[in-house]
Amino acid sequence: MLSSFKEILAAAKQSGVKKLVVPCPVAADLPLLAEAAAAGLVIPILIGAGSSLELLVNGSPLAAGKCEIVDENDPGKVLGRALALVRDGEADILMQGGASPQELLDALRDKEQGLLPKGGVISFVSIFQLLKREKLILVTDTFINNNPPLVEKQKILENALQLARMLGIEAPKVAVLAAIEQVNPGIPSTLDAAILSKMGERRQFGKAIVEGPLDIDCALSQVAAGRKGLQSVVTGNVDIYLVPEIDTGHLLAEALVFFGKMQTVGIVMGTSKPVILNLPFISDENRRVEIALACLACLKGGING
Amino acid sequence: MIRSLADISKLAREKGPKKIAVLAPEDEEFMLAVKKSWELGYIEPVLIGNIKKIEAAAEKVAFNIGPFQKISGDEHQGISDLGIRMLFSGEAPIAGKGQIPTSYIYRSIIREEAKAGSGMTVSVVTFWEVPGIDHLVAFTDTGVNIKPDLKAKGEIIKNAVFVYHLLGYPRPKIAVLSGQREVGGKLASYEDYEALQKAADAGDFGACEIAAATSFTDIFLGDRDRRVDYGNINSEEMPHILLVPSLDTGNIICKLDFFLDVNRSSLVATSRGPVCIPARSDFNDNIVQQIAMSVVLADRMGKEVQ
Repeated sequence: MLSSFKEILAAAKQSGVKKLVVPCPVAADLPLLAEAAAAGLVIPILIGAGSSLELLVNGSPLAAGKCEIVDENDPGKVLGRALALVRDGEADILMQGGASPQELLDALRDKEQGLLPKGGVISFVSIFQLLKREKLILVTDTFINNNPPLVEKQKILENALQLARMLGIEAPKVAVLAAIEQVNPGIPSTLDAAILSKMGERRQFGKAIVEGPLDIDCALSQVAAGRKGLQSVVTGNVDIYLVPEIDTGHLLAEALVFFGKMQTVGIVMGTSKPVILNLPFISDENRRVEIALACLACLKGGING
Repeated sequence: MIRSLADISKLAREKGPKKIAVLAPEDEEFMLAVKKSWELGYIEPVLIGNIKKIEAAAEKVAFNIGPFQKISGDEHQGISDLGIRMLFSGEAPIAGKGQIPTSYIYRSIIREEAKAGSGMTVSVVTFWEVPGIDHLVAFTDTGVNIKPDLKAKGEIIKNAVFVYHLLGYPRPKIAVLSGQREVGGKLASYEDYEALQKAADAGDFGACEIAAATSFTDIFLGDRDRRVDYGNINSEEMPHILLVPSLDTGNIICKLDFFLDVNRSSLVATSRGPVCIPARSDFNDNIVQQIAMSVVLADRMGKEVQ
């Protein structure tokens, strides 16, 4: 089981070199790509106006020869070419580069040209490294879906379970979060949580223990849960926290970073190939881990199939 | 200006003891908190609930409750109604929750506010004391309103501003939190931020200001380099009040003290005085802190009313 970012980096180095395509790379991407290339993780493929890219590369730590440049002078076609390379198997990983997150997301969801398998849901999983013990926890969805209905929450959970299993968590323990731990018809998140929990009980998520609704104190502390009369193997030892909607998910992830100073990385799930976003609450150092994680996801049985 | 929970503890000792109607202290942890608060000189408890259970809990924590008033009550709503009525009738300046679901207490408060014709929306203010931040930070509403609309959010802001004025902050800064980011269109929580900012500028919420920040990234990184740097996390721009978009968000984030290095303390400021509402999972030292906060608020509300 991988229980730290260091272990993700180490495991990725054994996974073989992957081709990582970046549409319209920005200057800040280059030192990161240079480092990932030097570590033997990736060969960057940069797409954009060739002359500008050469200038960008020449003035950066990414030495020519350590990357490929695909000349595309039409800015409107750059993202499409990047997607085509990944879709056709000529590249393994897609990085956001200079595309806006919405533009990228729309392209990923495109029925003809995108990377979203039929019936799938694209979601974002934040992985946090615990401060006091060696363990990784997953929080989802922290970036993509605003107010997912139950059917989408099911997919979002399945995406996170796939990632947890790739990290070696054989039977992930899931807390479906809500404001309270009781099922209250007036609080919709508790109803969705109860249904997902029942689905888990019926083994609809495979080998996993899904508990919900759980409030955060019960999820975080077995003693606190006990005082509320709740006994579960999930409490105090959660692997995946499924949040009710984006206000909670995004703010929770940020709170853990800024108040808790917890290290975090993230990955897009649900796509047929790994996709790396560029979010401000992920540090430069941890963006390296995101590349490593994407490399692991390329492996057979990895997160993206 | 009260900046820390240590300030609160010191003031509670100076201003106590105050009478507190304690609702169902039938659990050792709550009873221990009542015992400690009494020993510290914060409170004089009136114990309401199942007397046998109260006595059993007191015995377990070696607390002689002989000298204190005890009022018998057996079911949650009845116990809650009794205690909250004491607060609204002026018999006790504070009410405090024991091992009883909070929803019963909110119901009692809402009924009493309606009877009093105060027009006050009931909301919960949860304070965080965060190392490195030189003032208390409050999340609201973390307990009552499941999905407050714009009007309710305005009332929730007014309640929190009232509390901060009592704590000595003449012009508290507020962030209206939202999960707004660069994808997914405009969220309802962000639209509310825009409307609330206009209302605050127009003076609708009294002396306060709404910050141009709706996320922790905005608050901590501002217009600076938009990339977190763990060695240099800057909390100088931290607002005093953080308005959460929903009960789910508020409750999930405010109780991160089970995980993070922060101290939490919650209360409801009713029109007649504070109600101390620790979570049923809170531990005694944390409950003592929350009682101290209510004592100080009760003292200041009493002066305000005079």
